[in-house]
Amino acid sequence: MSGGSRYRHLFSPLRVGSLTLRNRVVFSAHLTNYATQDGRPSEQHAAYYAARAAGGAGLIITEEHSTHPTDWPYEKLIHGFHEDVIPGYRRITEAVHAHDVPILAQINHNGGQASSMYTRLPVWAPSPVPDPLFREVPKAVEAREIAEIVAGYAKVAEHCLRGGFDGIELQCSHSSIVRGFLSPATNRRTDAYGGSLPNRARLLLEIVDAVRQAVGPRPVLGVRLCGDELIEGGTTIADAVEVARFVEATGQVDYINTSIGVATATLYMIEASMQIPPGYAMFIPSAIRQAVSLPVVGVGRFKDPLQADRALAEGQCDLVGVVRGQIADPDFTAKARSGHAEQIRTCLSCNQECVGRMGLNRWLGCIENPRTGRESVTASVAPPRARRRVVVVGGGPAGLQAAVSSAERGHHVTLLERSTRLGGQIPVAASVPSRAELLDITRNLVAAVARLGVDVRTGCAAQPATVAELRPDAVIVATGARPVRPWWAGSPDEFPSVVDVRDVLEGRAAPTGTVVVVDELGFHQATSVAELLADRGCRVEITTNGMVVGQDLGITLDLETWNVRAHARGIRQSTDLVPMGVGSGAGSPLVLTLQHHPTGTDRTVPCEWVVVAGHQQPDDELWHALNGWGLDAAIHRIGDCLAPRRAHAAVVEGHRVAVGL
Amino acid sequence: MSPNVVDPVAVGGHGAPSRLVFGPHETNLARGRAISDRHAAYYRRRAAGGAGVIVTETASVTANDWPYERAPLAAACPQGWEAVAKACAPWSTLVLAGLGHSGSQGSSAYSQEVMWAPSPVADVVTREPPAALDEDGIQQIVDAFGDAAVLARGSGLAGVEIDAGAWSLLRQFLSGLTNQRSDRFGQDRLLMIRLVLEEVRRRVGSDFVVALRLSCDELAPWAGITPEQATQTVAAITGWGVVDMLTVIKAGPFSTSAYRPDAHIPECFNWDLCQAVRAVAGDVPVVLQGSVVDPGRASAALEAGVCDLVEMTRALMADARLVEKLRHGRPETIRPCLLCNQACRVRDPRNPIVSCVVDPASGHEANEPALAAAADSTPADPPPGHLGDPGASGASGLEASSGPPVLVVGAGPAGLECATVLARGGRKVRVVERRQELGGTLLRAAVGPGRERLGSISEWLAAEAHRLGLAIDTGVEADAEMLSRARRDGWQVVLATGARPVADRYPAAALPVLDPLAVLGNPGALPEGPVAVIDPVGDAVAVNLAEWLATDHQRHVTLISPDPVAGTQLSRTGDLADANGRLQRAGVQRRLRSLVRSIGPESVHIEDCWTAEASEVPAAAVIDCGHRLPDEALYQAVGDPGFARAGDCVAPRSALEAVLEGRRVALRLLGWATASAQAQEATPGASTTSAATTWADRDGPRGSTGPAADPADAGPSDAGPGPILGATRR
Repeated sequence: MSGGSRYRHLFSPLRVGSLTLRNRVVFSAHLTNYATQDGRPSEQHAAYYAARAAGGAGLIITEEHSTHPTDWPYEKLIHGFHEDVIPGYRRITEAVHAHDVPILAQINHNGGQASSMYTRLPVWAPSPVPDPLFREVPKAVEAREIAEIVAGYAKVAEHCLRGGFDGIELQCSHSSIVRGFLSPATNRRTDAYGGSLPNRARLLLEIVDAVRQAVGPRPVLGVRLCGDELIEGGTTIADAVEVARFVEATGQVDYINTSIGVATATLYMIEASMQIPPGYAMFIPSAIRQAVSLPVVGVGRFKDPLQADRALAEGQCDLVGVVRGQIADPDFTAKARSGHAEQIRTCLSCNQECVGRMGLNRWLGCIENPRTGRESVTASVAPPRARRRVVVVGGGPAGLQAAVSSAERGHHVTLLERSTRLGGQIPVAASVPSRAELLDITRNLVAAVARLGVDVRTGCAAQPATVAELRPDAVIVATGARPVRPWWAGSPDEFPSVVDVRDVLEGRAAPTGTVVVVDELGFHQATSVAELLADRGCRVEITTNGMVVGQDLGITLDLETWNVRAHARGIRQSTDLVPMGVGSGAGSPLVLTLQHHPTGTDRTVPCEWVVVAGHQQPDDELWHALNGWGLDAAIHRIGDCLAPRRAHAAVVEGHRVAVGL
Repeated sequence: MSPNVVDPVAVGGHGAPSRLVFGPHETNLARGRAISDRHAAYYRRRAAGGAGVIVTETASVTANDWPYERAPLAAACPQGWEAVAKACAPWSTLVLAGLGHSGSQGSSAYSQEVMWAPSPVADVVTREPPAALDEDGIQQIVDAFGDAAVLARGSGLAGVEIDAGAWSLLRQFLSGLTNQRSDRFGQDRLLMIRLVLEEVRRRVGSDFVVALRLSCDELAPWAGITPEQATQTVAAITGWGVVDMLTVIKAGPFSTSAYRPDAHIPECFNWDLCQAVRAVAGDVPVVLQGSVVDPGRASAALEAGVCDLVEMTRALMADARLVEKLRHGRPETIRPCLLCNQACRVRDPRNPIVSCVVDPASGHEANEPALAAAADSTPADPPPGHLGDPGASGASGLEASSGPPVLVVGAGPAGLECATVLARGGRKVRVVERRQELGGTLLRAAVGPGRERLGSISEWLAAEAHRLGLAIDTGVEADAEMLSRARRDGWQVVLATGARPVADRYPAAALPVLDPLAVLGNPGALPEGPVAVIDPVGDAVAVNLAEWLATDHQRHVTLISPDPVAGTQLSRTGDLADANGRLQRAGVQRRLRSLVRSIGPESVHIEDCWTAEASEVPAAAVIDCGHRLPDEALYQAVGDPGFARAGDCVAPRSALEAVLEGRRVALRLLGWATASAQAQEATPGASTTSAATTWADRDGPRGSTGPAADPADAGPSDAGPGPILGATRR
């Protein structure tokens, strides 16, 4: 059965203003940090959007373009107010139109959700209410400044049209001065732009008028509204529905896009990680769709075409925003349409290289798609000069990716894995319920390996001789890493109840009673095992030498939900503690000594088990042995057996080594 | 007679015009990974002001070492180095290229490659394990140092400085914390640095300066470099005969912020260390580094034989003309570095441009040249209208003294900066201040450990105002009538009335809710009993206040913050971890991730941000460190949106914005447009030398002079560029 019939709703065309979209999949607006240092659109923008157009998206909406010089909250924002963005716009629109896909430009002024770091000018907002992230008191805009804002939107809309865009989306949610005016939490004005909802919506409606006038009747004009800011005193769904009615009543707008949360206060609900159930924001388009007849876009962790098709079938929305799904796999739509949905490289919602890099001012990437963010610099995997015999040792993400990329280039690939299952540490990490979707990376890679005809031999503990027998032209060693017993933990014979996270997750240890989890990594390892053990009935405390438990969970937007779950499970969190040793206690099997490093005071913790989330060491014996074996083959080392890091490093190195063969 | 900082010195056979060093530091001025035209303008200003040695921003010697996004890469730098060499040549400044490799203290985020280090020891900040270098990898890095030095030489620079400092692979090889090798590089931890220095020397020859920046104390005596080890290391290194200058620094993997700390660490903190090192350094000139900001102390260090040169990087950001002012016998006119680290510490993923609270022109020399020119003027200078040759740049020059007199309302940093620039531009200026003393909020906030120095910019501005003979009326509350009268009489008016506390943030509070400034001014008025400090901002104000009340006034203090750590905004200054440590040592209770729900008669009711778990903080008094609001009363009373305003009365922010906007308003009133954001945007990288190359350049060559073209007439008003009442451009 082809995808077209399997996903009947997803692949039915839709008229939006003057455009007819061939399907309901929208690559909706999101930051990329691909802009040049001086705020111009780049070659990378064009290549990035073109790849999703080639992959069959129904509609593409670019990231925001700033409408005024007072607006520069992050470094790589496109400065749409400069006329010289237009050549870059043309490059984008021509690249996308080559695939017969329409593309809209999102335009915006971030208002008070900004700082003066880059502009060195006061931040503009409806009222002097500092944003919870930027914490800079903005200047309440005066009448002539409001006029400037409106004029800025019109000017940038006109630039976009000259740049070949098919229309404009007004960003009025997430992070926007229009959102600021709409929301009672940030609009404390007493003039015609504050107070009642019609007053708070006045700026939006003035902008709609001005933009429509600037672009003329034909281009599509959309408005993106926040349905629930999830902040105290903020916009909620009733107000949002009412504003949608105002917008429709102008007769100048062609569709409504939706969102949830505020980018600088409740971002973890906008770019929800795997901790938040899919479809969590669909109450918003559902409510708006009942109030207006304009097409409505719904968003929120759509990973699978089936989910999207169902949301359409149930009448929750008319179009579905699939962002991370198409970051991970640009061909999401094409694969669904052609009946190969199982080949889609499903997004994990791990947020490590997309969302996580955005917050750190780095270009957008993807944990499992090494080409994301590199579309303009890396050609797709080119055929090699000669077909080679490649042996990959190790079936974790590094080895699997190396095998996939090598096989895609036409090499003959044999993959040796010592255990009976593929995936390396991924299935271990994903065995904790709240991290289950991480397993999708293994599923995607294992499916690809099978599809590409890689000779996979599990249960094969490779020795140099095993490898040599295969007469390889190239060997890729991806044998991973193993836990290290920390210096303070004594010997395993003396203290068998001091174990590693992997001992617990891989079933070699089953702690009970009072457990201290010592976190030296600051990521999911410690929090996952703590949650698992608390669910099994243990009394759990996590200690860290850092200032925050699970520090890097902040980057992936998992810190908020972790704290909620930890609280619900009674997990205690203690910071600034350096483990100094373990001993036997009276009345408890173990006593862990911790030094509170800011004060130099020692604390002893009686417990039954200590679980260590610590750095691992490379499992690189085979690599060393192969180097001394005298093989007539190039020997490469990738992933954790080079240095034990996170999954992205494994994938990137797996791909890179294959491209270089 | 003992040497003075202004005296020349010989380094490796080259002469430096003074003994002051502008050390290498992150600037984010690079374009891509190349030293840029912006760097050239930045360094040029320090050269013109008399710096003896300039070490450019450290460039990585290999492409896979990419520690921060705008970190220069040696292979991309020759053109930029050449521009810097040319820009500084007229003053004979000794310009060295900083060269380094950050090893395990780099980042894989930009390179997407593994980091390389002596041993697989994860850095404590990133927690990312590096891979251990093998012999081939080591040799490639040694070669890369040599290649980079050759490039620097070919670019016309006088030398290189090799980095074995705070973020460096070479220090990692020297230290037992990070070098756990068992091969020859572990048995002899000096081997790597020796190979590098000898290779560099071999490649560049003997007439090229090879300097070394060396960590001589990692502040981790259990395995790190100690001062005792460092003296042995230095004795060995100087014995090899390949190093021409040695800068002594203090930093290790646990203490990168100890390298250029804020004012919580005393000035000249490397004094003893440097003295001990110099004693074993033979005839190699030694540089004292480490919060040296006072020229008097610098001279004392030279006199005491602590060093041969003094690195005063931050002082030269605060006043680029420091040496020149000393030479003219005018030390009192030097703008003081506050050691606040608020704008000059830019190893930050957001890539802020290096700048300075007291001189916001720093780092922006290429984009806002007029700002720099205004800072670099002194009362002795002729006004800008005379300096440039108006005829040469068309008829746009301004007879500076010809404009109308100006009334400045408010004598905080914004008002005083504005008033003094106007006065130097030849305007008659009157300042009215409602309080009895000058200096504004900043001076009143400069109380407590590590904070006293903050007020020195207010004091300096006040002294400058007196030196310039401004009419200053304190204790005078300006009102709408005064302003109307002034304008009728032909005066221009600038409002710099500052900010006010929010009086009603907790309207139902059952306890006194106090303003932090009031408490700092009169701690005795604080009721007896426990104190709750509410800090929704996370900057230095609440952290400092809590620490000060606990240590200096023995109060029981709880700091309530919505964040997972206290003082989150201090990450920019490098004080975040230290501040949290100090709070805990002072016994301050931190209630983190907490929101204030209500204030009862004996306690503050708080709630966890994420779980809504409720709890109480016992309190007899509450101090609200929340944001302040602009004091707009006067602005609203006169009801004229055309009024020029600057600083907190536009929007309460930091002192940098106050100084910046005060100066910008003055320049606009003088008819000296500053480049607007739009103008910078319109010509990225354009080095508009027209105005910048005037005042500081009297001893050097003249650039084209005269006011910059004014692109700002369409810009936003209120301290941003834009049209302004009564600005009489002609």
